[in-house]
Amino acid sequence: MELYATKTALAAFALALLLTPAGRLQAAATAERLQITGEVMDTWCYTSEVMGGSDAVLGSAHHQCAVWCAAGGVPVGILSDDGEVYLVLKLGDDDRSNANPKILKIQSNRVTVDGEVYRRDGLNYLLVDQVVSDEGIVNLSHEDYGVIPAFGVPKQ
Amino acid sequence: MKCLRKGRAALAAALTLGACVFGLQSSPLRAADSWNVTGEEAARFDATVVDILCELTGDCAEDCGGGQRQLGLLTDDGVLILADKNAAPFAGAVDELIPFCKQKVTVDGLFSENRGLRLFAVQFVKPVGEDGKWRRANRFLTNWAVANGVDPESKAKNGWFKKDPRVVAVIEEQGFLGLGPDADRAYLDAQ
Repeated sequence: MELYATKTALAAFALALLLTPAGRLQAAATAERLQITGEVMDTWCYTSEVMGGSDAVLGSAHHQCAVWCAAGGVPVGILSDDGEVYLVLKLGDDDRSNANPKILKIQSNRVTVDGEVYRRDGLNYLLVDQVVSDEGIVNLSHEDYGVIPAFGVPKQ
Repeated sequence: MKCLRKGRAALAAALTLGACVFGLQSSPLRAADSWNVTGEEAARFDATVVDILCELTGDCAEDCGGGQRQLGLLTDDGVLILADKNAAPFAGAVDELIPFCKQKVTVDGLFSENRGLRLFAVQFVKPVGEDGKWRRANRFLTNWAVANGVDPESKAKNGWFKKDPRVVAVIEEQGFLGLGPDADRAYLDAQ
């Protein structure tokens, strides 16, 4: 009888933990190992379309703006081939996700990375273990869209 | 004539009263400016400023990463919101929120939702419960100016993105198309 009461109390405690915000945090923070191939990109211009349509703010057309935004600390993502965006929080041992100079240098490139993904409240957060390959910029979007924003073109 | 003067006085009093009421309300009722972004939704809420990496993995820095890590806004009901943008051109929200690491703030800004992403742009911030003024979320510009030897009071800081030494170095090497200087020259010649 005493054992039954103890078990009931433990179950109630576990349920209470799950129902608290802190409990939900722990439940949500489960990592998944993935290999992702896609384009390194700027999350704000892609989502807001403030500079142009989402397809226009990828690749070479938007490279310079993507570098500006990465330097300004706008979170950088990887747009995978299946259309999912993964927000980069870590690159190897380097945990600088705000204006990381290493990330600036690979902006707009097509990369394949291995890492851990945490899914939380509708977003995917990526901790890159390793960049498996870097093909450079393969999306020659400037052929369709020119340079976005146009004021980024140097005056001759 | 007397009636006209009375009418003008009443109108002036009404306008003054209206301006006072509006003035009193406009500060605490600070509302986000529309940017006409996709899936735009103005929002104001209270949340705790958190280091996202710490929140997700338990890999925590005492000072939320000291400005090196992306920051989130954790609501009382446990929802983690990515603070993606601030109110300055081409800049994120870390400089705006890092002074409030682990503190509760009231933020005012815009969500943008598109293609499965829902991101928040902080336009104004202040500590929760503080009756003081909203702080416009453009502290980044002043920080950048100070760090780069530019007068923080000058307008020169607004064009930070073209002058930033990190940006200049990358664009010099990769070109504005990211395909090398030759590709840039070919593009410009074709214009």
